Amino acid sequence: MTGGFTSSLETSETAITTIRRGLREVPVLRHGLWLTFLLAALGSGGRVVVPILIQQAIDKGIVGVGGEDFVDVALVAWLAFVGLVMVLIAGIAFRQAALRLGVRSEQALYDLRERLIGHIHGLSLADHSEERRGGLVARVTSDIETLAQFFQWGGMAWMRNTALMLIVSIVMLAYDPLLAGVAFAVACPLAIVLRAVQRRLVLAHGEARERNGEMLGAIAEVVSGARTIRAYEAGDHLGAVVRTATERKATQQIRAAWIGAFLFPSGEVFSVFTVSAVIGVGVWRGPESGLTAGALIGFIFLTFRFLEPIAEFTEIIDQTQTAVAGLRRVLTVLDMPVGPPAPEAPIPLPAGSLDILIRAVSFRYPSSEVDVLRDVTVTIPAGQQVAVVGATGSGKTTLGRLVARFADPTTGTISVGGVDLGSVAPNELRQRLVIVSQEPFLFDDSIRANIGFARPSSTMVEIKAVIADLGATDWIDALDDGLDTKVGERGEALSAGERQLVALIRAGLADPDVLILDEATSSVDALTEVRIARALDRLAAGRTTIAIAHRLSTAARADRVLVLADGELVEDGCHSELVVSNGAYRLLHDAWISATTVSKQSEPSEVRVEAERTWPLDRRDFAREIVEAEVLLNGE
Amino acid sequence: MLSLHPRSFVFSFAGAAVFALATVVSSFAIRWVIDNVILPRFEDGQVAVGTFFAGIGMIIGIGLVRAIGVVFRRAFASAGMWRVAETYTNQVLDRLVRQPVSWHRRYQDGDLVARAGVDTETTVSVIAPIPFATSTVLMIVISTIWLLIIDIPLGIVALIVFPLVIATNVVYERSVSQYYTRAQEQLGDFSAAVHESFEGVQVIKAYCAEERETMRLTELAGRVRASRVEAIGRRSWFDALTDMIPAIANIVLVLLGAARVESGNVTIGEFTSVIFLFTLLVLPLRLIGYALSELPRSMAAWIRIQAVVTEVVLDDPTMEIGTADTGLGIQLTGVSFNHEGSGLAALHDIDLALSLGKITALVGSTGCGKSTLTDVVVGLVPATSGIVALAPGARSIVFQEAFLIAGTVRDNVAFGNHADDDDVWAALHLAAADDFVCALPLGLDTVVGERGISLSGGQRQRVALARALVRHPSILVLDDTTSALDPTTEEAILSRLRSSLESTVLMVASRPSTIALADDVVFMSAGRVVAHGTHVELLERESGYREIVEAFEADRAASS
Repeated sequence: MTGGFTSSLETSETAITTIRRGLREVPVLRHGLWLTFLLAALGSGGRVVVPILIQQAIDKGIVGVGGEDFVDVALVAWLAFVGLVMVLIAGIAFRQAALRLGVRSEQALYDLRERLIGHIHGLSLADHSEERRGGLVARVTSDIETLAQFFQWGGMAWMRNTALMLIVSIVMLAYDPLLAGVAFAVACPLAIVLRAVQRRLVLAHGEARERNGEMLGAIAEVVSGARTIRAYEAGDHLGAVVRTATERKATQQIRAAWIGAFLFPSGEVFSVFTVSAVIGVGVWRGPESGLTAGALIGFIFLTFRFLEPIAEFTEIIDQTQTAVAGLRRVLTVLDMPVGPPAPEAPIPLPAGSLDILIRAVSFRYPSSEVDVLRDVTVTIPAGQQVAVVGATGSGKTTLGRLVARFADPTTGTISVGGVDLGSVAPNELRQRLVIVSQEPFLFDDSIRANIGFARPSSTMVEIKAVIADLGATDWIDALDDGLDTKVGERGEALSAGERQLVALIRAGLADPDVLILDEATSSVDALTEVRIARALDRLAAGRTTIAIAHRLSTAARADRVLVLADGELVEDGCHSELVVSNGAYRLLHDAWISATTVSKQSEPSEVRVEAERTWPLDRRDFAREIVEAEVLLNGE
Repeated sequence: MLSLHPRSFVFSFAGAAVFALATVVSSFAIRWVIDNVILPRFEDGQVAVGTFFAGIGMIIGIGLVRAIGVVFRRAFASAGMWRVAETYTNQVLDRLVRQPVSWHRRYQDGDLVARAGVDTETTVSVIAPIPFATSTVLMIVISTIWLLIIDIPLGIVALIVFPLVIATNVVYERSVSQYYTRAQEQLGDFSAAVHESFEGVQVIKAYCAEERETMRLTELAGRVRASRVEAIGRRSWFDALTDMIPAIANIVLVLLGAARVESGNVTIGEFTSVIFLFTLLVLPLRLIGYALSELPRSMAAWIRIQAVVTEVVLDDPTMEIGTADTGLGIQLTGVSFNHEGSGLAALHDIDLALSLGKITALVGSTGCGKSTLTDVVVGLVPATSGIVALAPGARSIVFQEAFLIAGTVRDNVAFGNHADDDDVWAALHLAAADDFVCALPLGLDTVVGERGISLSGGQRQRVALARALVRHPSILVLDDTTSALDPTTEEAILSRLRSSLESTVLMVASRPSTIALADDVVFMSAGRVVAHGTHVELLERESGYREIVEAFEADRAASS
C-alpha cells in the first residue's frame, strides 16, 4: 500500500491511458460525448460565416460583374440573410455544447468525489498517517479542482478549437489548396516556437509558485512565532529573512512575466508573416490562376481565423497536462486497497460480555520489513480489565488497533466472543467494541453533537444519562452553553483533559461490551484528571477492557498487566506480582515513580546526588528513554 | 498604487499606446494593400513590384511594432505589479514585526498571513490590466474617429456594437459571478470538512460512521456542483452571445458596406479595412469586462491591507519595565492585568519579590494566570496597573510550545543575536542539547523544522532553551518548558544553570519533579498569588496547594 501510494505516480502511464481509465471510472462523461462534439463543431461553423460572406459579397455582389464598382445589393442582402441564419444556428449549437459539457462534467466530478471519499474512508489506518493526510485531502479537493478547471475552460476550448481548425482548414483547402498549403507551411513553425516558449513559461511559473510558498512560509513564521520574536527582539532579523524571500518572489514573478509577454504576441507576429506570404503568393499567381480578389481577401480573414486557436492551444495543453496529472493521482488513490474486508457471511456475536482470544498474532506494516508484533498469544476472559504497557515501538498501540480490527494480523487470529474478527459484520463490531484514542478527535461542532456521533439516533435524555453515569454532569453544567458549547476546530476550545472526557462520554453512549482505551500521556490539570479517572473507572466497570497504558497507575489498577517489549509479550501478571519481580515492568515502574515524586527535602541538589548514587547509569538511561518516549507518543 | 513604481508603468503605458496606434494603422495597411496591390492585380492584371513590397513591408513592419508594443505593455505592467505587491507585503511585514504581542492577539494567525500574502496579490491583480484597458480605450477612440472619417453610417453601426459587447459583459458579470463566488465559498467549506473528516478518520471508523460521513461530505460537494451548474447555464449563453454579436454586426457591416460601395461613398479597400478593424477590436472588448470584474475583489483586499498598515504601532511594554531593588531579580508591585475587551482581571494586585539567582516554581491550576504572569514579567504584555521591575541584563522566556524557525540549529539558537559557535555550543551544553546536536548529520548546520530534520518535542524544547541561554539572561522565565523533558534531563539542566549562570529563574511547574528542583514555590489561584515559600512550608500552610500536589501523589499511591 505504502509503496503503491507514491511510486505509481511516477509510472510512465501515458496521458491517453489515464484519460481512457478516467472515462471508464466516470461513465457519465463519456455518455453523449460525440453529440457534444458535433454541436461544438456546428457552433464553430459560425466563425467561418463572416469570411465566406465577405468573399461572396466582394466576388459576386460587388466586383463580380465587369470590374466596375457595381453592387448587386439584393444578392448581398440575400447572402447576409443566409449568413445571419447560420450565425444564429451556430450560436445556439455552441451554447448547447457548452451546457452539455459543463453540466455533465460537474456531475462526473461530483460522482468522482463521492467515490473517492467513500474509498478514502475505507482505507486502512496505516494509509491515513499524518504525512499522508494532506495528500488525501488534496486528491478530493484540489486535484479534482484541476479537472473542474479543465472542464470549465480547457475541455470546451479543445472541442471548439479542434472543430474550428478543422473547418477552417477544409474551407481554406476548398478555396485554394495552394494558398492553404502556403498558410500551413508558414504557420507550422509557430506551433513549435509557441510550445518551446510555453514550456519555459511553465517552468518559470512553477518556480514562482515555489518562491511564493517560501515567502508565505517565512511570513507564517513571523506571525506564529510573534511571542518568541518579541521576547528575543528578533523582529529585524526575521523581518530581513522575509524581505529577502519577498524580493526573490517578485523577481521570479517578473521573469515569468517577461516570458509570458513574449509568448502572447508571437502568435500575432506569425500571423503577420503568414498573411504576407498568402498575399505574396496570391498576387504572384494573379487572376490567371482562377483566383479572385474576393477569394484572396476572404482567405486573408480565414488565415487569421486559422491561427487564432493555435495560441489558445498552447495554453490549454498546459492545463490539460495538469488535469491529467490530477486525474492520475485520483486514480492512484482509487487503486489503493481498502482496509480489512467485510465478511460475506457475517456471524453474529453472542449477547452479553465478550471474551477476547489473541492467537499467535504477528503484524508488520505494509511498508516495513520489521514485525511490530511477534507471535502474541493472550486470552482475555469476559469482563477482565487488562492494561498493556511497554516502551514506544513495543507494539502496544498496534495490538489495540488489531483487536479493534483497524487492520488484520499478518499471521494469527483474533476472535471476540468466540467469533473470528474477520467474520463479524463491521456494524456489529463497532457497536460492541469501541476504541477511545489517546488524542481524541472532536469535530468542530457542539459537545452534544460530538457525543451523539457515537449513536446519531440517541436522545438528549440518553446523552444526559450517560454523562450522569460517568460523573461529568457538574463539568457540563459549569460550561457557559452546557451541552451546546462549541468545541472549536479539533476541539481546541477545550483543554486536552476535557477533550478526553468528551471522548469517554461518547464511548459511554455507544455502550460497548469491549472497550479499548488508548491512554493519553499529555499532562492534564488536577481536577480534570480526577474527573477522567472517575469516568474511566465507571466506563470500564463490567466491560472487557484493554487499556493501552502510558501511566503505570492505570496498570496498577488493572486486573492484569501485559508487558510488551519489541513486539513480544514478555510479562503477564498482576501489578503486585510484576512490580516485585526484577523484570521489564519493574524498570518501567521505577522510572515512573521518579517522575512523579516531589522531594520533601528543601535542598534539591541532594536529590540529584542521591539519584546518582542509587541509580546505576544504564538504568537511568533506560528511565529517560521511557519517559521521553512516552512524551513522544503524544505525537504518534 | 502606480505611483509606488512609476518607471515600470510609464514604459507599460508607452507600450500600450504603441499597441493601440499600431492596431488601428494595421487596418489602414490592409486597406492600402487591397486597394493598391490586390485589386489592381486582379482587375488590371498587374501591379508594380515596388508597390507590392511596400505593402507587404508595411503589414510586417506594423505587425512587429504592434508586437513590441504588446511586449512592453505586458512585461512592464507585470513588473510594476509585482514590485507594488512586494512593497505592500513589506509594509504589512513591518507592522508584523513592530507591533507587540497584544496587537497580534487581536488577529488570527491565518488572517495576518493572508493579508501579507494573498491579499497583496489580489490587490495588485487589478494593476496588470490597466495599461491594457487604457490601450483598448485609446483604440476605441482612435478607431471611432477613423471609422467616422471613412464613412459615417458604417462608423455608427460599428460603434453600436462596442457598448453592446460591454453591456453583455456587465450583465454576465452581474448574473454569473455571484454563482462562482458562492461556489468558491462552498468549495472552501467542502475542503475544510474533508480535512476534518480525514483527520478524524479513526473516530469515524470506531463508530462505523464511514457512510454517514461520505453522505455529509457529498452533500457539501453537491452544493458546489449546484452553484456551478447555475453558472454554466448562464455562461454558456454569454459565450455564445460574445461570438454572435460581433458576427451579426459584421454581417450588417457587409450589407451596409455593399450599399455604400454601390453608392460610391467608400472603396472596396475602405470597406474591407472597416471590417478588419472591427475584428481586431472584438477581442480586447471582451477582455476589458473581465479586467474590470476584478475591481471589487481587489478593493476589498486593499482595504484589508490598509487596515493593518495604517494602524498605530502600540507601545513596547518592555519600555515600562523598571529596575528592581538590589538583591532582587524580579519585583512586582500591585500588578494587575486585564485581557483586552474583558472586564475580568486575569492578574489581580500581585506583589512578588524574587531574590537574585533563585529558582522559583510557579504552581497553580489551569487558567489561574500563570502564563499571563510570565508574559507580564518579561514585558510581552503590559501590566494594566502596577510596577514590573527586573534586575538589569537580558531577559529570556521559553514557552511551553517551542517555536523553531525553518533554519539551521545555529540560526535557531543565535536567533538574530551575535553569537559565535563557542557561545552556541556552550548554550546547547547548558540546555543538555549538545549530545543530540552533535549526532545530527551536519551538527549546527543541520536544517531543522518543516523542510529539514524533525526533532522530537523534548529536543525542540532544549534548542529553544539554548536560545534563551545563549544571551546569558539575568532573568530566565520558563513557561512549563521542561514538561516535555524527562525528569533526569530537567534536573541536569537546572543544576547546570545553578552553577554556571547567575540567572533568576521563574518556572511554571506542572509536575512534582519540577517543583522538587526549585528553591521556592509561588502558588497562584484565580489570578492572585496565594502563597510564596518553600515546598514544605506551602504543603503545611496551603490546603489548595496540598490538593494540587496530592492529585499527583494520589495517582502514585494507587499503584503502591
